[in-house]
Amino acid sequence: MSIESAYQYLYLSAAIVLAVLVGIVLIRSVIGPRITDRILCINMIGTLVICIIAILALRQEEGYLVDISLIYAMISFLTVLILASVYIRTKNKPPEDGEKDTPSEGGKEEGHG
Amino acid sequence: MAEWIRFWIVAAILFAGIFCYVLEVIGIFRFGYVLNRMHASGIGDTMGLLLIVVALMIASGWNFTTLKLLLLIIFMWLTSPTSTHFLSMVEMNTNPYLDRYVRRREKT
Amino acid sequence: MRELFRKWMEGDQDPMESILDISMQADQSRDERKQITHEKRRMLSADPGSQERVEQDRRWFRKIYLAVAVISCISLSLVLLYTVSLMPRYGAENPRTTEVVSRYVEEGIEETGAVNIVSGMILDYRAFDTLGESHVLFTALVCVMILLRIDKKNQRTGYEDYYTIRSDSYFDLSRDPILPAMGRALIPCILLYGIYILLNGQNSPGGGFSGGAVIGAGMILFSAAFGMQFADRFLTLKLCNIVTFVSLAFYSFAKGYVFFMGANGLENHIPKGTPGAILSGGMILPLDIAVGCVVSVTMFGFYSLFRRGSIGMDVDYGRFASGGRKGKLTASSLKDSGKAKGTASFSKDPCKAKGTAFFSKDSGKAKAAGRKG
Repeated sequence: MSIESAYQYLYLSAAIVLAVLVGIVLIRSVIGPRITDRILCINMIGTLVICIIAILALRQEEGYLVDISLIYAMISFLTVLILASVYIRTKNKPPEDGEKDTPSEGGKEEGHG
Repeated sequence: MAEWIRFWIVAAILFAGIFCYVLEVIGIFRFGYVLNRMHASGIGDTMGLLLIVVALMIASGWNFTTLKLLLLIIFMWLTSPTSTHFLSMVEMNTNPYLDRYVRRREKT
Repeated sequence: MRELFRKWMEGDQDPMESILDISMQADQSRDERKQITHEKRRMLSADPGSQERVEQDRRWFRKIYLAVAVISCISLSLVLLYTVSLMPRYGAENPRTTEVVSRYVEEGIEETGAVNIVSGMILDYRAFDTLGESHVLFTALVCVMILLRIDKKNQRTGYEDYYTIRSDSYFDLSRDPILPAMGRALIPCILLYGIYILLNGQNSPGGGFSGGAVIGAGMILFSAAFGMQFADRFLTLKLCNIVTFVSLAFYSFAKGYVFFMGANGLENHIPKGTPGAILSGGMILPLDIAVGCVVSVTMFGFYSLFRRGSIGMDVDYGRFASGGRKGKLTASSLKDSGKAKGTASFSKDPCKAKGTAFFSKDSGKAKAAGRKG
């Protein structure tokens, strides 16, 4: 067995194991009882996919694929940030109109679902 | 021969990283609450990514791709704790039944 | 900053304590919501006929909805299948899959000067198509602006006051001490990386669209990390309009020049350069920059408009943020305060005075004045 094919098999097996893990994490994100479970799982899937892309970049010997994993990391970070800014309640939110005319209020506090 | 030694080092570090990810995935199923699951997810975000990327850096040798992989580690180590921080803030803020899981410290 | 972190770690001080709301309010609001639905149900049950009518309407609506959904799905899939049946078979002997592709691959580098064939294709052979794409992005931004934008004209209808406060009540991430500290290290790197992707489009994968997306994401991160008001100092609507207009106009003129020269058999004076260098590929690099500007402005504009309804300082936020929250800008409270205090308390602020007049409903004249002026 030559060294190149050994590297190919190594990368392939690592990528397959990581892909199986992505599927398992997806199950957790479906059954996760709270919204934060789901965001956490999406974040973890992001990390796993970053690793898979980095392995793929070495396997194909195309360095530019690492760029894609960097962009992926940035976007998954931005997702968590923006979702946090939507969901976090502050103390001085506008009073009294919280109940009647904020339709998204239900989604905000819907913890279990 | 030196090539094969490098190959076995790469394989060992790579599968150590994958082992971290397996621990992470076991952890998020075994723990019962989000704030506990964050501990498990932190293993993969830091150690798993570090080991896998370091293995790839050794395999790739000394070129521009290695630099980009180093950038990936720096980026992930900066952003992943921040996103975990905000995620725990969301959890503290939106869970109405927080006292079932968390014991708050009394103010002095 | 270091002092703050030390105190935070030792537990003396929690910087988020005065800002965050970690109380059990959710339970209360859930109970209130239950009460509201309970009251609705009681009102319905008081009138026995109404419940049946509502049920009947609902049943009819469900049937019609189901039928329309099934019919539209079937017709859409039939249309798509018919379109697919018209397409030539993949790999068959037709010129699109054999001659065109082979010409791109074989002579692309010579004819366009770009090592990256995709970039040469979308910005040289099919540049007209890319012009349309960037105009589509621009049109989408304009449409979102028409629907969501808050400016001085529609501020005084009353609803926009409410929406401004509502969107501003989203948690401002810059109040957290961690994100600005991290953003100070990270955001310049992201912007630099986006510029690298943008400028290196003719040599490696990337180019206008992806580089612009990275720059736009960096701008979104900037406005999230340092606060909207800080970002408003230079990321204003005027700047967005100028950048979009200049990029699209430059794209049109540059490509029009090339088309005019090519169609009349004249010589193109733009040098191709050596393939692989930064300054190569003729018009590809400037066009990449134009497309990247449009894409980044569109991304930031979408985020900004959906988040709070404006780009830049068109709305004076401080007024709503400080005065609006304390003053309880709901319809009922405004009515009361408007009657009690009149417009005296708001006389310094003409815009808000008109809003009060609109809400008070006691005189048609004030309403009309509020709409006119």
